[in-house]
Amino acid sequence: MNVIYDENMSLERKLEILSDAAKYDVACTSSGVDRKGTPGSMGNSIAAGICHSFSSDGRCISLLKILFTNECIFDCKYCLNRASNDIVRASFTPEEVCSLTMEFYRRNYIEGLFLSSGVLNSPNYTMELICQTLKMLREVYHFNGYIHCKAIPGADPTLVEMTGWYADRMSVNLELPTTEGLRTLAPHKTRKTILRPMKQIQLGRDEMAGKSAYQVTQEALSGSNFYGIKQNNNRNLPKNNSIHETKNNSLIQLPQKYSGGLQTQEESENINIIARNSSASFGLVKPPSVNRGFVPAGQSTQMIIGATPESDYEIISVAEALYQKFDLKRVFYSAYISLNQDSLLPALPDGPPLLREHRLYQADWLLRFYGFQASELLSKERPNFNVFLDPKCNWALGNLGQFPVEINKADYFTLLRVPGIGVKSAQRIVKARQLANLKFDDLKKIGVVLKRALYFITCNGKMLYPVKVEENYITNQLISLKEKLPLGIDGSNSYKQLSLFDDVKFSSMNGIMNVRSMSL
Amino acid sequence: MITKKIFMCEDSVDGIFTAIYDAWDSRYGHDNVRIQVQGEEMELELFSEYIDVGPDEEKIRKVARSIKEKISEEAFDMVCKAAWSHEKNKGDVIYRFLILGFHIGSKVINLHSNDTVIKMFNMNRNVFYETHHFLGFIRFTESKNHILFSKINPKNDILRLIAPHFSDRLNNENFIIYDEKRKSAIVHRSGYPWIFTYANELDVDKLSNLSPEEEEFRALWQTFFDTIGIEERKNYRLQRNNLPKRFRSNMVEFNTQD
Repeated sequence: MNVIYDENMSLERKLEILSDAAKYDVACTSSGVDRKGTPGSMGNSIAAGICHSFSSDGRCISLLKILFTNECIFDCKYCLNRASNDIVRASFTPEEVCSLTMEFYRRNYIEGLFLSSGVLNSPNYTMELICQTLKMLREVYHFNGYIHCKAIPGADPTLVEMTGWYADRMSVNLELPTTEGLRTLAPHKTRKTILRPMKQIQLGRDEMAGKSAYQVTQEALSGSNFYGIKQNNNRNLPKNNSIHETKNNSLIQLPQKYSGGLQTQEESENINIIARNSSASFGLVKPPSVNRGFVPAGQSTQMIIGATPESDYEIISVAEALYQKFDLKRVFYSAYISLNQDSLLPALPDGPPLLREHRLYQADWLLRFYGFQASELLSKERPNFNVFLDPKCNWALGNLGQFPVEINKADYFTLLRVPGIGVKSAQRIVKARQLANLKFDDLKKIGVVLKRALYFITCNGKMLYPVKVEENYITNQLISLKEKLPLGIDGSNSYKQLSLFDDVKFSSMNGIMNVRSMSL
Repeated sequence: MITKKIFMCEDSVDGIFTAIYDAWDSRYGHDNVRIQVQGEEMELELFSEYIDVGPDEEKIRKVARSIKEKISEEAFDMVCKAAWSHEKNKGDVIYRFLILGFHIGSKVINLHSNDTVIKMFNMNRNVFYETHHFLGFIRFTESKNHILFSKINPKNDILRLIAPHFSDRLNNENFIIYDEKRKSAIVHRSGYPWIFTYANELDVDKLSNLSPEEEEFRALWQTFFDTIGIEERKNYRLQRNNLPKRFRSNMVEFNTQD
């Protein structure tokens, strides 16, 4: 390691280096826990999260996102701080981190601290530094705001547990979706050293009984009450309904056991094995005197998208397995940004694959809030999301037999599957139709995007106007409605990036191929 | 033709509640009365009688109690937030909402297909979003006497909605949040509950006498802010969409750039 190190480096310079080095980590929301302030300490926490500013890339700044040090004995190919890079190295002291956090917080610049780190000397040494800093911030500086920190892969479970009592959220980054990818690009990390602390944190949290959105959705799907919405008329639809209506019954299936749903997904198998075999090593450490709970906001992880040739199917299958087996609150997807020249890394002449990243987030939402399974959205034969259509439209077009659904009768989760109906409008429909039969006009006011939904719904047995329920026709119609993509994501540009990997196929059974050749 | 009666009231929950009481009590017919909040420029209507209404404690209490008892606490909350909205015709929308609410009860807030209810929801949403924005976008500067001071220019009257959050979070600090447009403020003393006050006499200049550390931490924050954006993902349109310019004048990280 070629270390350039300046003993007298100013705090400002350190902050510059160590925030620069931390900025690629996206698993950094400030959400997940509500905690009131207490006299004698500073801070509270809001479960919904608060954005304090937005940086030049348009992303939310919520936490003081820094590395403790950018020195690192690991040599992950994609990482700016890898051991083999010739860069200026710097380290904070615990006091400096505490002082920055406190002074930024009281001026309302930030919602809390996000502390990550390069691996200095050893995983244990680094974990101990992080733990010591958090302890000082909580017990000497009396900080009661939000703290997110990393569990260092390979660190001793005792240290991970001790840190967990001071943090609100912890994360271990999976980095790459497959073991193979890790082996190639992150030779010092293994699936095992990443998943072990994840499992440990999950077991520790079991006592806390905090539930992730994914779990809440799954429970609601299996029949329990959801959002206090009474669903009197769901699932037991009147017998004289049309064929489509009866099919609704099969639309929402109870989640299959994961192993049943995914045939030979080696990677998810791999995760399952570790999930089963890891034994609890919790309870080694006594909680601190001010007990805020053990990682009360749960854990998250991040996967880098586009550095290795995994398909979208592999990526969301892994995400689903993480939600199921490790009870993660969030999986984040980070479009790979080319920082290092390396023959093992792809060149991305058109910039990071932002549209692909966006599609994965959309699919992630469908898993967590809409009750979809990864295997419904993609398959081995169709392993990647459609560039031109969002994952839900894409699914609906492939399952036209389940439509149209009757707005005044379909249950909550069936409504959620209609393109143009989101969580809010589905909730409103279920509430409003108890007062009056809903008409298309009402749907517009409720916030349903009718121009998208009209192909998939009936109101009182009638569609908005006669529509040919035919895949190619509807596909064409939906594509011609411009999808509202996040600002700055240019579909055509990202298409080129995606095509770097030759296993990516945009065509599908949905006849997208024709449309594309027409529009290009 | 019937002359319309327009009840004019001050721009506050108190004013609007009193006007609602008087309008109702006039028995002039709901279609023939209107509530108008003072302060905003308005077009005078012909064939209308304008009636000035001053706040009346008894009437305010009665209206508040009726809403809570005959509709619901939730509806009362919605009405208050709507009264803090910047919408010009909020007084009359609230009046129409209450007519409906007294008629059908607590269900009124689920009547998503009714135009008045939709207007109430939109005002509430606007107030809610702005409140939430300010929880994050407020910036405190530390003055020489270690008081944290923040100046804001919100569209809606949100001071009382953000006060509980900051009093809880910064319970060990002395702070003032000052609404420059309405000349009102939240004042919080360490360890005490917050108070709302009109602050015409507030000496803003004195508070802008900064503590010795203030400049240092501003500079550090600026450094952090400038560094944390990812060059390869630069997206000023998205930034402007998420953080509209109207918020930026009081945010330190934008002061040197704009």
